[in-house]
Amino acid sequence: MTSEPGADPATGTPLSVRGVSRRFGSVQALANVEFTLEAGEIHALVGENGAGKSTLAKIVAGSIRSDSGSMSLFGQPYRPTSRREGAAAGVAHVRQQLSLVRGLTVAQNLQLGRPGAPAIFNAASARAEVERWSDEFSLSVPAETLVDDMPLAVRQQAEILIAVAWGARLLILDEPSSALGPLETRALIALCHRLRSEGTPILYISHRLPELAELADRLTVLRSGRVIVEGADVRAADLREVATLMIGDVSLLEVNRPEIERGTSRLTVNDLSVSSTQEIGCHGLNFEVAGGEILGVVGIAGNGQDSLAKALTGQAKLASGHVVVDGEDISGSARQAIAAGVAHLHEDRSTGLAAAFSVADNATARHVRSGRFTRFGVRLADKIARHAGELVERFQVRPPDPAARASSLSGGNQQKLMAARELEKNPTVLVAHGPTKGLDPEAAKAMRDRCFAAAQAGGAVVVISADLDEVSDLAHRVVVLYRGRVTDAFPIEDMTSERLGAAMAGLTETMGATSG
Amino acid sequence: MSQLLEATFWSATVAGGLRLATPLIYASIGETFAQRAGVLNLGLEGYMIIGALTSLYVADPTVAPLGFLVGGLAGMALAALMVLLSIRLFANQVVVGFGLTILGIGTTGYIFHVTTDVGGRDRQVSLPSEIDIPLLSDIPWLGDAVFGHSWYTWLSLALVLLAGFVASRTIFGLEVKAVGEDPDAAAAKGVDVLRIRTQATLISGFLGGLGGAALMLGSVGRFQPYLTANRGFIALIVIIMASWSIWGAAVGAFVFGFFEALGFNLNNVFVDVPIEGLNAIPFFVALVILTVSARWARMPRGLGENYVPTV
Repeated sequence: MTSEPGADPATGTPLSVRGVSRRFGSVQALANVEFTLEAGEIHALVGENGAGKSTLAKIVAGSIRSDSGSMSLFGQPYRPTSRREGAAAGVAHVRQQLSLVRGLTVAQNLQLGRPGAPAIFNAASARAEVERWSDEFSLSVPAETLVDDMPLAVRQQAEILIAVAWGARLLILDEPSSALGPLETRALIALCHRLRSEGTPILYISHRLPELAELADRLTVLRSGRVIVEGADVRAADLREVATLMIGDVSLLEVNRPEIERGTSRLTVNDLSVSSTQEIGCHGLNFEVAGGEILGVVGIAGNGQDSLAKALTGQAKLASGHVVVDGEDISGSARQAIAAGVAHLHEDRSTGLAAAFSVADNATARHVRSGRFTRFGVRLADKIARHAGELVERFQVRPPDPAARASSLSGGNQQKLMAARELEKNPTVLVAHGPTKGLDPEAAKAMRDRCFAAAQAGGAVVVISADLDEVSDLAHRVVVLYRGRVTDAFPIEDMTSERLGAAMAGLTETMGATSG
Repeated sequence: MSQLLEATFWSATVAGGLRLATPLIYASIGETFAQRAGVLNLGLEGYMIIGALTSLYVADPTVAPLGFLVGGLAGMALAALMVLLSIRLFANQVVVGFGLTILGIGTTGYIFHVTTDVGGRDRQVSLPSEIDIPLLSDIPWLGDAVFGHSWYTWLSLALVLLAGFVASRTIFGLEVKAVGEDPDAAAAKGVDVLRIRTQATLISGFLGGLGGAALMLGSVGRFQPYLTANRGFIALIVIIMASWSIWGAAVGAFVFGFFEALGFNLNNVFVDVPIEGLNAIPFFVALVILTVSARWARMPRGLGENYVPTV
């Protein structure tokens, strides 16, 4: 495939990426990327969400192809056309979504898809091989437990172990620590060092800077598909500067922010903790939002935003603390939250709306228990349609057809429909999670205006977003989430790339935590 | 009543059970492969009946083994439609599966009428002789019950061994399970999900066709419309009872056959009890087993969901 007869595969630079570009539709995911992985090193690839890290990893692994540019692997030209080809050439890609088959054991996963495996599955030898590698790296990966029944950290170890057993000469770890606790992360770092000492170079993708200081030898920063820093020595690097480079310039855009009069505190979050098996949860959050104020919650996706949104809207059971709206504790009760006037623009429109239901049913869904649109338990279709028609008109949902299915609307109109449902009355608290995500400029502006209007009407607005522009357009004040904790909080005027970058990458001491 | 205490009653029931189970064994083993691969293959009844008719129409002028083989191929041809429509074109598996069952029943009934009514002749085959295994067949009781079956039955038992081996001891067997449990992860490991699902579905079609052919050539001998009489759906029940295990499917098929045979034989003992009541015994037993086995049965996670490859 890539290695020619007579060539020594052990010599030569493990990986050299030259001028690689890749475009998805209108998005330039990678632009002319130059990158070198040297022998015996752990090389960290850092960047924000959407910087192109995973795209680069997939190109190296062979899952997707580059539009232009070239690569070489251990000195040989390398043009994988599939992940299987990449694996055969010795590149193993341990992804964010783990790729072990859950209904099989580790031993079965070891042999599944393995290049050159015999057609007969020998359970005993597969088990012995898993155990041998597990001992070799001082792990305790069970050979004959279903992957389903293993904790995430062990699955990950199993996947790395399988990669090594398959003869990986180069390992790509894509966000390996994102779901791990501190102890598990330490074990992962130890495993990486062990692999390095055995001569396997590692490309380690992360946006968590603190662990890199201990883990990696060099780092490369990607931003919007471009290499900003190539191969800097981690020990000599100023991580704060790296964090700043990761997010680039943040500037307050020319958005017409209306003057909004600040009222008294309406939303109080007190020692809020949520534990979640799905994501990182949140821990000991404290903040207040006044009427007329827009608070931006920023952070790289997956740092507790979902748990926070659920907690603020009464949809999550709290491990500790309280969410108080106008003096009323709504913790853990979505019904109470709705009764207290909390509105929620869900991050994911397909979850935030009942996609298979009509526009009318969606628009009036908040009244489903109020009795306003029923008589003796029978829904009053005419009344629902009439009311929905008014809402659709008011919130400019197109097409203005109450009978249309919600799923038939465009993304922008789905977002407007969700706003029509949630913002029919002025909310006491508006939780807007990524309100302009994926919208065209016109629809984005409409949603921004809805947020401003909610604040102008005296509501407390929380905008949760991984998109810094969205937050800087809207918020008066910002809190930064990192691994479920608030790492910084400041008024929007004080927002600088340095400060934001450091807080988002976890370089700032956790502040305001009263528990844990 | 005293007949129930006689050993011959029970040895005859076991023997009859194995005979009745034979078509179910072929069909449920094949279907187990398809369902383990994530394909809810509800066309099984259709594969069986097409296999039954085809096997007769080939065996009548030629020989039974050829009819049997071509019957399997006919089932596989119908399963190829499942592959095309559901696996490759992503049509809903339940809809396509029922469609194929209806297509199979309708087509075979039509062909049968056209070829027999309009000056045709009634095709039939003579039933196979029993194959006795020397010495073993002479064992008292056990010899009567377990030995002395036709080669269709012996082949089905050999198939169970082979299928069990393939399912648990080969990479193909792992691939089948992987694409049914976690197609995304399997694809990420370089397994061609659609290819494995295609193969498993064709296996199911072939074995379903063989099941129909075994019913026709091994125990009925002549066709009648809807000859299979829900045996394909019974095989689907057997698979759930067996929690998608090959061995379990074979045992489940036998349990069904046994209680069906018991119903027949009890009819001779309790002449006053309506035969319909006795015929319901296997279904009643299945209901009990399904209820109990629901505690541990674990269906393939991707069962019934089409896999659409990304990129």
